[in-house]
Amino acid sequence: MEYKNVLTTCPYCGAGCNFYLQVLNGELVGVLPCKSHTVSQGKLCIKGWNASEFVISKERLSKPLIKRNGSFIEASWDEALDTIAKKLKEYKEIDPDSIAVLSSAKCTNEENYLMMKFARAVLGTNNVDHCARLCHASTVVGLGQSFGSGAMTNSIRELEDADCILIIGSNTAEQHPLIARYILRAKEKGAKLIVVDPRAITLTQFADYHLRQRPGTDVAVFNGFMNLILAEGLEDKEFIKERAEGFEELRETVKIYTPEHVEKITGIPKDKLIAAATTYAKAEHASIVYSMGITQHTTGVDNVSSSANLAMLTGNVGKPSTGVNPLRGQNNVQGACDMGALPNVYSGYQSVTDENMRAKFEDAWKTKLPEKPGLTVVEMMNEAAKSNIKAMYIMGENPMISDPDISHVREGLENLEFLAVQDIFLTETAQLADVVLPATSYAEKEGTFTSTERLVQMVRKAIEPLGESSADWQIICDLAKAMGSKEFEYGAPADIMDEIASLTPSYAGIVYERLQRGGLQWPCPSKEHPGTPYLHKEKFSRANGKGKFFGIEFKEPAELPDEEYPFILSTGRIIFHFHTGTMTRKTELLNKEVPTGYVEINPKDAERLGIVAGELVSVQTRRGQIETKALITERVPEGVIFIPFHFAECAANVLTNPALDPVAKIPEYKVCAAKIEKYQVSSTLKASPGFTIPPRITRANIPSKGRR
Amino acid sequence: MIKKVQDLARKWLEGKEVDAIFGLKEQDGYIAPYLFADASELDNLTISTEYRLCYTCRPPKENILALMQRREPNTKIGIVARGCEERALVELAKRGQVDLDKVKIMGIACTPEEAKECRCERPYPNNLVIGERVEGVSGDENINTLLNKSLPERLEFWRHELSKCIKCYGCRNVCPMCFCKDCKMEQEVFSKTGWLPPEIPMFHFIRFYHISERCIGCGQCEKACPVDIPLLTIFKLLRKDVKDLFDYEAGMDVEQEAPLLTTLDEMPMKEEVPSGV
Repeated sequence: MEYKNVLTTCPYCGAGCNFYLQVLNGELVGVLPCKSHTVSQGKLCIKGWNASEFVISKERLSKPLIKRNGSFIEASWDEALDTIAKKLKEYKEIDPDSIAVLSSAKCTNEENYLMMKFARAVLGTNNVDHCARLCHASTVVGLGQSFGSGAMTNSIRELEDADCILIIGSNTAEQHPLIARYILRAKEKGAKLIVVDPRAITLTQFADYHLRQRPGTDVAVFNGFMNLILAEGLEDKEFIKERAEGFEELRETVKIYTPEHVEKITGIPKDKLIAAATTYAKAEHASIVYSMGITQHTTGVDNVSSSANLAMLTGNVGKPSTGVNPLRGQNNVQGACDMGALPNVYSGYQSVTDENMRAKFEDAWKTKLPEKPGLTVVEMMNEAAKSNIKAMYIMGENPMISDPDISHVREGLENLEFLAVQDIFLTETAQLADVVLPATSYAEKEGTFTSTERLVQMVRKAIEPLGESSADWQIICDLAKAMGSKEFEYGAPADIMDEIASLTPSYAGIVYERLQRGGLQWPCPSKEHPGTPYLHKEKFSRANGKGKFFGIEFKEPAELPDEEYPFILSTGRIIFHFHTGTMTRKTELLNKEVPTGYVEINPKDAERLGIVAGELVSVQTRRGQIETKALITERVPEGVIFIPFHFAECAANVLTNPALDPVAKIPEYKVCAAKIEKYQVSSTLKASPGFTIPPRITRANIPSKGRR
Repeated sequence: MIKKVQDLARKWLEGKEVDAIFGLKEQDGYIAPYLFADASELDNLTISTEYRLCYTCRPPKENILALMQRREPNTKIGIVARGCEERALVELAKRGQVDLDKVKIMGIACTPEEAKECRCERPYPNNLVIGERVEGVSGDENINTLLNKSLPERLEFWRHELSKCIKCYGCRNVCPMCFCKDCKMEQEVFSKTGWLPPEIPMFHFIRFYHISERCIGCGQCEKACPVDIPLLTIFKLLRKDVKDLFDYEAGMDVEQEAPLLTTLDEMPMKEEVPSGV
């Protein structure tokens, strides 16, 4: 008998918790927390505890599939790879930019690096992107322009020692539960907690101030804070003088954002705003924590840069327990960005338009590389619909649930001449593919993930691949070889990391041998460097070493409520599920907690519309319509409704607005105009076949026997 | 101490007294449970208070030893067990989960520092094989502080602590005594599902009551809690109540019947389900 525990990194959020996978005679039998891990410390959230179940799901893909006459037929690996290689070669010869590639924030650094190398060096296009576009593209741009580096400035555990934590647009306890641990510990030690969120999120019960802004007015909130700080002389004059530039522009811009003016825009009572702003400004160590509540707007970059403005104005950058801390949603979304699975940069954010950078990669990969930056996720779908993108290769992403305006996504994907998908499940997206390749989960391969705090950590193989599935890095290498490339010869993921380190300054010191004993935080520029817990200590990463203030005016969201669509619809996640549900909806306990979607509506709105709790309602926007259950709750303010986006049968993204931030190209998931009505039987029968109301557990249908 | 444990384990393995040793293994600075089947690996056998060897595997929803015994019923397993682990094994055997005939326990004593860290009242196994027996901690500051508060203050204390819960089920998952296939914490009849924080106090109380007379006081629940709810404090109080009411302490003797473990010779009382529900 063999029983071992294999240490690995959680495949869910970006907190980067580690745990052991228990393996008995080669079979996965559970998860065990790791006591000595820096973030998780022997604790996990409900998803982490259950992270072994989906791995062994009977729904896992075990053989390559090729679609013939509309249905999938099992195929051999050779046949499937040859089919894809032949097709991609055809499109490459006509126009490499008619091909687009989606990489994956669920896959390892090594796999993302290979995927972007494959797109650029083998296919010859910069059309490579991934779901970071949909969550923190505005962070990469916003913090990039303000600080010179688009990543979390400080470390997770430093939050515990902050004197004030400003949480804006992050439902931390649900989305990053193990990060909320350190926020709660700070609170128990006396820190002040400011929550800025339209919804009453789980953490608001512990908040000293809950500022409920009208959705989409975050810039006005930040400007209001800064107006007050300057009016009261609470700014850090020395920091502004020594470390930053552009202050005059900021001062001029925020002048009009008096508490009264901000109250008019945001709906936050001015006294509350004044008290919260004063608390933040007076704290010795103040941290800002944010997430998609501020990034997923047409003003996403403005919001992020505004948070950077506030931190610099009060000198809260470059020291422990301060900073601007974007919490990244996926286990390896930080890494996928670091690896250059983006249309404009190679690994380490080295620009494809910079001749020197391009020459370096051309030299290493022994081929000419394209100069023009490629298309982003939403642009790819638009161009597919217009037949400018003809073939797509998607690794481990499910745009059919995750992208805004799904009907349009379907239109784009169905309009493709060729679609290949590699995934562990036959997702809604994979179902549209011509060829599907079975990949392995995190438990069956080796590699690294980079967590939200820039911590690069090992993912270790616990069990053998299920069926004929193959690791994503292996599949990319096989496909590259099938297309005739000789630059994809790697014995193991460690070799890929060596290549990454040789080409990526911030990862230069990362090597598997070091990672075996614990993670390393980038920048880690040499093999002797211990890693960097917090950024911008003496100077910022911008070219001149200074942080930059931007004077940013408030702009309204792209679509506002009107007579026809009187509600603001906001979307997001819940603790019991993850993203498009491909993993969590195959987990018994999580399905038991929340079996399907719902729409949160304020009791006053519900009463006005005659909607009762649990009733099926129809929610409509200019993009589409879904039917879902009403959850009547004061978590949402009047006039705002909220829908979690995990559930394919009542997919929130049928409704969302694909309007983009002009620079970061992130869609406005957090605000669009909607109407909500009582459900009409006739319309639903047509609109969503197969929708069933989950059975409610009541006392009557619980057997009384068998209780312990 | 560790040398003695390794030597005895080697002796048991080489002398075919057991087929494998279940203990903790250290690798690259990380420690985790491991089944040693080969004596040559025993240099990596270690002891640590950080991990216990009695826990329920999920999804199988079965204790790890029970799972091993079910997979390979003829394998005799030696287990390096502290006092709390021995007590857990006794309770598991009492409840038909683990066959103690197929287990050989190497009872080891905890040091005074370890006992203090775990606030443990009995830091030694009944069958002590290696180490010096030290007395457990008497009195508990956390409990004294709590009991000195008024009832409304205590209620508010618990309400605050439980309101932090993020429903990870970690307390249940690490508990050596939580092995029910049909866990009551998951059921909507007891506390509303899909909601944070879970219903106060029912979500937690259902487990407190359920575990009260089997709790062996290992404190793993408290250590697994991501929001630092002082669960050991409440379980110590429950254990004291069980002792005072029934003169019973969990994990002492397989033959001793648990006070709340009753045999129902007749059908349990039928629940009255009102018509129309």
